[in-house]
Amino acid sequence: MTTLELLPRPKDAAPWRNRSKSLLTKIALASVLPVVLAIAIGKAFGIPGPITLLLVFLPLQLLASGLAALSTRGKRGVADSQLNVAVLFATTFVAIMLGSVLFSVVSFGLNAISPHFAYQNNVYVTSTTSLEYGGAGHALLGTVLVVGLAALIAVPVGIAVAVYLTETRGRFRGPVRFFAQSMSGLPSIVAGLFIFAVFVSTGISRPAGWLASSALVLLMLPTVIRMSEEVLKLVPGDLRSAALALGAPQRKAFFLVIMPAAKTGLVTAILLGIARIVGETAPLLLTMRVNPNTNVNVFSGDMSTLPTYIFAFLTAGFDTGRARSWAAAFLLLAVVGLIFGTARAISAKSIKK
Amino acid sequence: MNLQTQNSNIAVMDADSHLEARNIHVWFKERHVLSDVSLHFPTNSVTALIGPSGCGKSTFIRTLNRMHELIPGAGLAGSVYLDNEDIYAAGVDPVTIRLRVGMVFQKPNPFPTMTIKGNVLAGLRLSNRRTRDEDELVESCLNRASLWNEVKDRLDAPAGSLSGGQQQRLCIARSLALAPEVLLMDEPCSALDPGSTRRIEETIRELSSDMTVVIVTHNMQQAQRVSDQTAFFLAEEGQPGHVVEFGSTDNLFSSPNDPRTEDYVNGRFG
Ligand SMILES: Nc1ncnc2c1ncn2[C@@H]1O[C@H](COP(=O)(O)OP(=O)(O)OP(=O)(O)O)[C@@H](O)[C@H]1O
Ligand SMILES: [Mg+2]
Repeated sequence: MTTLELLPRPKDAAPWRNRSKSLLTKIALASVLPVVLAIAIGKAFGIPGPITLLLVFLPLQLLASGLAALSTRGKRGVADSQLNVAVLFATTFVAIMLGSVLFSVVSFGLNAISPHFAYQNNVYVTSTTSLEYGGAGHALLGTVLVVGLAALIAVPVGIAVAVYLTETRGRFRGPVRFFAQSMSGLPSIVAGLFIFAVFVSTGISRPAGWLASSALVLLMLPTVIRMSEEVLKLVPGDLRSAALALGAPQRKAFFLVIMPAAKTGLVTAILLGIARIVGETAPLLLTMRVNPNTNVNVFSGDMSTLPTYIFAFLTAGFDTGRARSWAAAFLLLAVVGLIFGTARAISAKSIKK
Repeated sequence: MNLQTQNSNIAVMDADSHLEARNIHVWFKERHVLSDVSLHFPTNSVTALIGPSGCGKSTFIRTLNRMHELIPGAGLAGSVYLDNEDIYAAGVDPVTIRLRVGMVFQKPNPFPTMTIKGNVLAGLRLSNRRTRDEDELVESCLNRASLWNEVKDRLDAPAGSLSGGQQQRLCIARSLALAPEVLLMDEPCSALDPGSTRRIEETIRELSSDMTVVIVTHNMQQAQRVSDQTAFFLAEEGQPGHVVEFGSTDNLFSSPNDPRTEDYVNGRFG
């Protein structure tokens, strides 16, 4: 009997990547020509860039790809190529939009930001104070506290509601689902007004961090509920049956089998929930007062947050003030990136023994 | 076996049957899919359920460990006795029933978030029980499911990395780890090669020294090799499934009472 040798994998073990020379030339032509032509036409007739992109480049690109596909793959290839171009175009379009937003925040933000900006507070600082002094540290802390408190309430409650909707046969699933769905259409300022009306107008509490958190909970809940519900619905019924058939009580089946299977999805649900509220400004303006000083007590006293800090300096209308807004926006972006990055890293941790 | 064939095609047995289904009817929504099934499973016997696809075999065994009620729209009439206690009596916790009556599903369904070893031990964790020697339990269960040799070097690999047939054997090992009194197996070998099938059949024979086994199979030879008694299910067009004939395996295959049984076991039907 001969024994088979174990071969190392060669570098190019992907024959499906090989393309013929003529195909490569056609692809190159079909991707370069429309760009060149579109630029030439746009320049010659003085058409504004975005219009050139949409009305000159896109049709040209569709035509070029269509022809290239027709000559290499025949009629069947044409439809495929058109769809490819359309999808790629739409993707690039969105990517450019998002990229330019990201780019302006990062470039303006980096211009204005300095290390002390992340921890100093705003006492004695006005819109015209030099950027050497003061920072948004107090607002950063405020955002973390207010959003943290909101998440602390909305995440368990939201997931619990989603569990009720998917894992039980409760009688009120219909109404609850309907209610959660309608809540997701709630304008954020109404959430703020509601909390204001219930707590501030009645004299129960002065504006404070926890009121802002309550308003944010109202906004975060529907997102967390809907997303978690969809994610839990994706867990195969087979797994539930398997766990229950092993004599697991429902609670155990959920925590040991269903939740781990839905873990990454649930983390996404939480992140989307946080993303929904972290930049909210309107409800915060109604439920808490800005405070240039640092306040760590969410239950009493005034407190600033990054969105309200940005809002205040933007509306004041001086260049240094605007620079502070950009710096704070960059800070907010960095915080969100940090939260999302860690959450992803945690949820990607591998399987349990 | 204490089987006495009466005038009817249904064998009747004495009082000490381990598990017994009496006059089971099943509905899904308004559709009547199983009619008047009465079968009994003596202690430590192996019973094969045979019959064409869609006649209600899987549905029937799911009524035996209260998995049936988890299907939305499911309906049931009749009773199931486990050691002479009605498992559908008011106040009986389905969890305790499922611990005593284990089940292997038609489709392999290992837990993808757990390792191979974790899957074998999952039943214990899920039911809050412990064992003195986990490694020994894992090895013996995987051995009996004829999977040990293939996975002994990668017990910590995710269960999803196994082939379909390996996953099915893992599910068998997972049920064995709980040492149930009754084991329901729904076509456990349908995805397995002849070698593993033979090994599983040996395991079933071994198990029957201290377990009551109910196995659904489309393989007539397998039914004859492993079972003491056999029930033939049939759903004629527009009718609910029912048991055409139930008796000792030898009788049912060599001298069936019903022509439909004879046609089916000889492959002329269904
Ligand atoms: N969840 C369900 N909802 C509605 N009808 C169902 C459901 N499960 C099964 N049925 C119906 O009940 C009947 C019996 O199905 P069952 O799965 O018990 O058949 P089976 O004998 O196990 O078939 P097979 O040998 O193909 O596994 C079929 O007509 C099927 O359509
Ligand atoms: Mg079946």
